[in-house]
Amino acid sequence: MNIKIAYSGKNDATDAVADLKQQLSGVDSKMIIYFASSALDPNSLSDGMQRAFDGSTVFGCSTAGEIISGKMLKDSVVAMALDSTVAETVKIEVVEKVSADPDVSGAMASFGQYFGQDLHDMDVRKYVGIVLIDGLSGAEEQIMDQIGDLTNLTFIGGSAGDDLKFRKTFIYANGKGYTDAALLALVKTTSGFDIIKTQSFRELDKKLTVTKVNEARREVLEFNDQPAPKAYAEAVNASLENASSRFMTNPIGLMVDDEPYVRSPQQIAGNSMIFYCNVLEGMELSLLESTDIIKDTTAALEAKKKELGKISGVINFHCILRTLELQEKGLTDAYGKIFLDVPTIGFSTYGEEYIGHINQTSTMLVFK
Amino acid sequence: MAGKIKVLLDAIIEKRSNGSPTLAATTRTKLILKGINPDKFGPNSPDDPVILKKVQDLAAKVGV
Repeated sequence: MNIKIAYSGKNDATDAVADLKQQLSGVDSKMIIYFASSALDPNSLSDGMQRAFDGSTVFGCSTAGEIISGKMLKDSVVAMALDSTVAETVKIEVVEKVSADPDVSGAMASFGQYFGQDLHDMDVRKYVGIVLIDGLSGAEEQIMDQIGDLTNLTFIGGSAGDDLKFRKTFIYANGKGYTDAALLALVKTTSGFDIIKTQSFRELDKKLTVTKVNEARREVLEFNDQPAPKAYAEAVNASLENASSRFMTNPIGLMVDDEPYVRSPQQIAGNSMIFYCNVLEGMELSLLESTDIIKDTTAALEAKKKELGKISGVINFHCILRTLELQEKGLTDAYGKIFLDVPTIGFSTYGEEYIGHINQTSTMLVFK
Repeated sequence: MAGKIKVLLDAIIEKRSNGSPTLAATTRTKLILKGINPDKFGPNSPDDPVILKKVQDLAAKVGV
């Protein structure tokens, strides 16, 4: 067994750890990654997981809901154990105080030192980075930007959640629960990896060019030289009062080769709009319209299976806004079942990371 | 002067991709996410000082 997955619905951290340990026994794991409801005490959970899987590299984060093959869960912990036939070597680094002034250069230098190779010389088909970031830190763009400047290696991941309480999210590593932190893991895979980036939107023929922003607040003051809410409302053909009801189905996208990098509006704040990720001045964005998450995700996974021939496992960083849409439509079971025959864990995130920070997307790390 | 931004962007993409079309595409995406779309700059594009400085800083970071 090269990858084994497990989940526990126990509401006490010690019990949940014992449950996972029992289910994951028999795997000579090199790496354990886990995602847990914020209902579980972060320090007890992280300490318990570290002790239970001593000898493995153990890390994870808190969530706004969990995913495992066949199911979307709440108030649980999901875990994946990978042995050396999948993950040859793993190194993790925690970067703290990311909301003030994140700096990943030390972590990246440490990877180079650990693997005995300059980051630029590492094989981009073998090495993959996983990034888990405090979902309330607002630091995702800077972190992804810095990583992208320092390496060509793929870093994929998500922003930790706290079950929609929006109070505190946690990164689990080194037997501790960190807040205001990011975890970077660099995995030397044995058989390689791939990624899936899927979002369920089509591009509409309406452009919103960003003409004034407050970058630090992820706030757009003007689109097309008009107050942002007015321009957005006009684009979706809604009244100003009803414009926010269209956010979920009509976010906007930065198009790169016909692929949207989704920017989701969060709220209208007076004469401006706040987004869940950065929108920069001068960006030309397209209005998007939602399509079918189940159909699109199934197609993306099937295409990848066909391309690779075999998938050993998937880690799915799945936007909470997609989860909310699935819940609203009664489709969470159908979504879980997409991954029934592929060992998969994941979580509902406060943002997804792949090349940059994005929204309303699933970024998936696929182990060959 | 004109066209400096394009020259620098081309150099950044070439340096980071080292001939790989996949890495060239990823580098382009990174630039677009930073708010610099390489397709918007040509040999006659004016050297907007704000954008030029941003691109020069990036070029220095990646060793161009």
